[in-house]
This record gives sequence, C-alpha cells and structure tokens, in this order.
Amino acid sequence: MPVPFETLIPYGIIVAMFGISGAGMSKIRNWQNGGKRQRRGIDQWDRVLMDRDRRLTGDLRGQAHNPTAPPGYELNNPWRVRALLEGICEPEANYSAPARETNVVEGMGVRTGTR
Amino acid sequence: MAARKPIFNQHVLYDTTPLPESIPKVKELGTTSAPLMSAAFFIGARCKDYNDDFMQCKTENPGKGEFECLKEGRRVTRCARSVIKDINANCLDQFKAHWECLENNNQQMWQCRQKEWSLNKCVFDKLGLEKRIPDQPKDEVPVQFRRNQIYAHASIPITQFPYLTPSQRAEQVENLRLRDPKKAARIDLWDEQQRQKEAAEAAAAQTKA
Repeated sequence: MPVPFETLIPYGIIVAMFGISGAGMSKIRNWQNGGKRQRRGIDQWDRVLMDRDRRLTGDLRGQAHNPTAPPGYELNNPWRVRALLEGICEPEANYSAPARETNVVEGMGVRTGTR
Repeated sequence: MAARKPIFNQHVLYDTTPLPESIPKVKELGTTSAPLMSAAFFIGARCKDYNDDFMQCKTENPGKGEFECLKEGRRVTRCARSVIKDINANCLDQFKAHWECLENNNQQMWQCRQKEWSLNKCVFDKLGLEKRIPDQPKDEVPVQFRRNQIYAHASIPITQFPYLTPSQRAEQVENLRLRDPKKAARIDLWDEQQRQKEAAEAAAAQTKA
C-alpha cells in the first residue's frame, strides 16, 4: 500500500517552519547589511577597516572606489576616552606631534595616550 | 576575541586641530575595504619600493614611526592614489564587478576567481601591472590560477580558464618542468605549433598585401 499523504503533512509543516525561519533570518540579515551577505569571522583588522569604511561612507558596509577621501575624513577619527572633563578639552593653539604621549593628568587637558 | 584588554569608552573626542603648515599636505585615499582588497596586488606591483621604504622606516623607528616616517607615508599614499586613479580610468567595470563580488563574499578572494581573472587581464593589457603572490612554492599551481577552489561556494565552469600574463605563463611552465616534465614537453610542443601557425598566417597576409 502506498504511503497516505496525510502522514506527510506534519513533516511538511516542520520543514516549512524551519524554512520560513531560516529565510526570514536571512532576509533580516540581508536588509541589515545593505543587500549583501553578512560579514562573518571578522577579527580586529576587519573591525578597524569596517570602521574606516564607516568614516568614509557613513555606513559600516558602505563601499566607495574614489581615489580621494571626502572632505571631513581627515578629522573624523575619534579618540575614545573614558571620561570627558567638561570645559577642559579644547584644541591647543600650537598642535605638536608628541602631544599623543602625554598621560591623563588631573585638571589638565585630556589627551589620552592609549587608544 | 579575548586578545586585547577591554576598553570601556564612554565618550569620543574629535581633535580638529589641523597639522602644522610645515608638513606637506597629501590627499587621503578614499577607497574603502573591498576595492582596496581588489586593487591590493596592483598597488603592490607598482608601489613595492615605496611600501618597502615605509616598512623599513617603521621598523627602524620603533615606537615613533608615526612621526619619523611621515615622508615615506606620503609617498605610499600618493602611489596608491595613482594606481586607484588608473584602474578607475581604464578597468572600471571589471574592478567594480570584482569588488562587489568580494563584498558579498566576506572579502574572501577564493570566492571570486573568475572576476579576478578578467580584472587581471584588463589591468595587464591597459596598465601592465601583474598580480604576484610572493614566496609561492614551486611544486604546486599557485592558488590564484587553480581551476578548483576548494572552499568556494560555487565551482568554476569548465569553460573558464585562468588568465596568465606571458611572464607568469613562462614561470609556471618552468615550474611544471620540474614536477611533470612530460606535460611541460607537451605544452612546449603546443606552443611551437601555435608559433608556426601564426608565422604561416603572417606570411600569408604578407603575400596577399
């Protein structure tokens, strides 16, 4: 006797449930990544490069092939600081290179040496 | 993931002080990660000397490379800019196809070999730049010329062949001679037949004209 189709309905429901969930998740990830597949297995290098992409294009997955960076690029790399002391962080009039090596000193300009 | 100490940042600080006037200005590269990955070997082919200079400068100045090596860094940026400009001007379609493929594939170059081969052909024809991976072993086919990329999602159709520039082809035939002399001999024979055919055609064209 052949297998009655009613017995395969539950299997069909299970497959459909998995399929819909998988397809839905894939669609959500696609939408989150601007129409592309998600980046996986990213390490610190990839994270730094993706942050650079965000600085260049505004979007973490945005890409551009121009030889010249957009105008604000050179100045939009932030220093990450733990605490921003109000009214103290002002740009120095004479910026000189070794400023990076000064440590945080209480009451003076916050220029952390670590990234 | 646990490779670095955790940094708990609450705020960001944007330092908008411009560089002093004594430092020459250079326009920064506006290429993001995928086009840069695609053009990387061509940048390496043209800018090898400047890049090596910069790396040597940084190695010789541990800890203060960012200040001592500004000049070498400017040279690197300018050279990379020139490569990107040339590729944009000459091979834009193949370039775009390749980096869009890379961006869709986690920036893994083995997923996008076909488009890479057509980009290599265009760049060699128009700009004369060859992709070369240094320190490849001589006893196997280099990974960028293999017809079967084992981890790729899709296999390459059997009608597609890798593009090799004449010098790359000569190098690969020499390597093949060491591991499989009979096959190398067959390739030499085929090359000889092609040369004779071309010579015959050229002679026929000469007599007609």
